[in-house]
Amino acid sequence: MAEEKTRVDFNAPASIVERADNVAELLNVSRTQLLIDALQDELDELINDEGFRSRLRDAYYDERIDFQTVKSVLGQEEAMRMKLLRASIDRDPPEPQVIAELPSDDEFYDGEVPVWRSEGAADDEDGESTA
Amino acid sequence: MNLATPVVDGRPAAPSGADPLKALLSTYDVHVPASVVGELSTATGSGDLLSAAAELVLNTSHHLMTHDVEAKIDAPLEYELDRDESDGIWLANDLEAALFITDEFNSTNYLFVSLALDDRNTLFTTPHVLCKLASRGVLPPEYVDAACSYYADTKHWDEQYLTRLRDEYTKG
Repeated sequence: MAEEKTRVDFNAPASIVERADNVAELLNVSRTQLLIDALQDELDELINDEGFRSRLRDAYYDERIDFQTVKSVLGQEEAMRMKLLRASIDRDPPEPQVIAELPSDDEFYDGEVPVWRSEGAADDEDGESTA
Repeated sequence: MNLATPVVDGRPAAPSGADPLKALLSTYDVHVPASVVGELSTATGSGDLLSAAAELVLNTSHHLMTHDVEAKIDAPLEYELDRDESDGIWLANDLEAALFITDEFNSTNYLFVSLALDDRNTLFTTPHVLCKLASRGVLPPEYVDAACSYYADTKHWDEQYLTRLRDEYTKG
C-alpha cells in the first residue's frame, strides 16, 4: 500500500532548480523524485550524525520535543530507549548502606591494585628517566 | 568492570582520589552469576586497561556473592542479549534484586535489558548509582563529576543524560 502523499510548494533559487532539472533529465527521473531522494539522503545522514543526535537528545530531555517526534526521526526502538532513560532519572536508586569510612585498599582488596599506563605514555622507552 | 577502569587507569586524564568499585561493593550487596567471574579470569593477562580492570575485580571476588545460574536456565533470555547479560538479568529477577546496574545505556540494548527485567523499575545506570553514592557522602561529588567526564570521553556516555543526572543530584 502506497504511503499517503502531502503536496509541498516552496520557492528555491532559480539556479539550483535549473541544476536539479538538468540532473533529473540526465538520470531520467522526475524533479519530484530527485527531491525526494535528496531529502531522504539528507535525513539518513543527519540521524547518523552524532552532533544532530545530541541536539535531539537535548531537546527531548528538556521536553522541547515529544516522544512522537523522536520516534518519527530515530525510530521506535531508539525513541523507547530515550523515553526509559529519561524516566529513570526521576527514580531513585535503593539506599546504599552508608558506612563511616570505606576500608583501605589493603583491607578491601585481595592483592595489589594493578596500575595500567598507556603505551603512549611509555612511548619514549629510551627516556624512562622522565617517569 | 567499568567501575574498575578509572581505578587502575594510571594515565593523567583518569580521575583520582576515590574508588567507585570499592564504594559500590562496600555499600551494596552485590550478586553476580558465577559465569561472570569466569569471564573475568579470561579477560586478564593481555596487558591492556580492561585486563588490569578485570584483575582488580577478581581481587574483590570475596565481596561478591556468586550464583551458579547456568545450571538453572538452559537458554538465554529472548531479546538480543548475550549470555552473561541474560544470566545477570535472570539472577536479578530470581533474587528480586532492587537494583540492576548497567552502563550500556547508549544503545538499544538498554531497552532490551529494561524489558527483560520485567519492568520492575530496578534498572539503573552506573552514573546514576555514582551520583547516588555522592549524594550520600560515600564518594566525593568532584570525583563523580570527573569520573563521568572520564566515561563520556572513554566510553562515549551520553553527555546530555549525564548533565541531567548531575543537575538532578546537585540541585537538591
